[in-house]
Amino acid sequence: MSRAPAGWDVDSPVQAEVFVVWLDRDRLQLTGPDGPQPWILQLGSVEHPVEVVDRIVRDVVGPPIVVHSTSWRRDRDAVILSFVVVIGRELVGTMASLPIERADLARSEATAAPRAIAASAVVEHGLRHLAWLAKDDPVVAAELPPDWRPLLAEYIPEPFRNLG
Amino acid sequence: MDGERQFTNRCACGWEISGSEDVVVDATIDHGRRIHNMEATREQVLAALHAPAVVDDEAADARAG
Repeated sequence: MSRAPAGWDVDSPVQAEVFVVWLDRDRLQLTGPDGPQPWILQLGSVEHPVEVVDRIVRDVVGPPIVVHSTSWRRDRDAVILSFVVVIGRELVGTMASLPIERADLARSEATAAPRAIAASAVVEHGLRHLAWLAKDDPVVAAELPPDWRPLLAEYIPEPFRNLG
Repeated sequence: MDGERQFTNRCACGWEISGSEDVVVDATIDHGRRIHNMEATREQVLAALHAPAVVDDEAADARAG
């Protein structure tokens, strides 16, 4: 008889899903302490989501350039707040990365959420949102390194959305 | 076997730890706090480690034919 590993997971009713993005020459890459998969954070009832994401990213990866919430949806029996976090290439170190491919968005019905939302659709929307911020938000525009602009220009700017 | 009982805990992110109960509990609390902003108690980790998740190899073999 053997014992399967015990399971451990974030289980709070509100969670953050972090996509750590960096620019590798002319290609946007996804990374994180667990590699390119979404990085899930627990959010306490009195914690500010942006402060939590900034603090954890700062502690685990290093100081981020931009931390921005780009969408929300229901998933994992919780409300998931998605964040795009921009970091410099000097922070990537040994973290595994994956080039970001373009993807279709998860489109809502007029009064209903999309039936299925892939992580690639969340990333696609996050980068469109970042492209919008780069044009609309003077703080983000000032913080983003200049070589991000031509790449983000390929993404159709789009503001914050409820994905589901 | 007279060695200390070994445990394994696996986080949904892929991180995994094996060792004695104390090692697994301490590492799980540390991993949760640092990587996932979780404030787990020792009791919560112990509850997960001792949850009924036993795989009966004989039964599994029988099912596999």
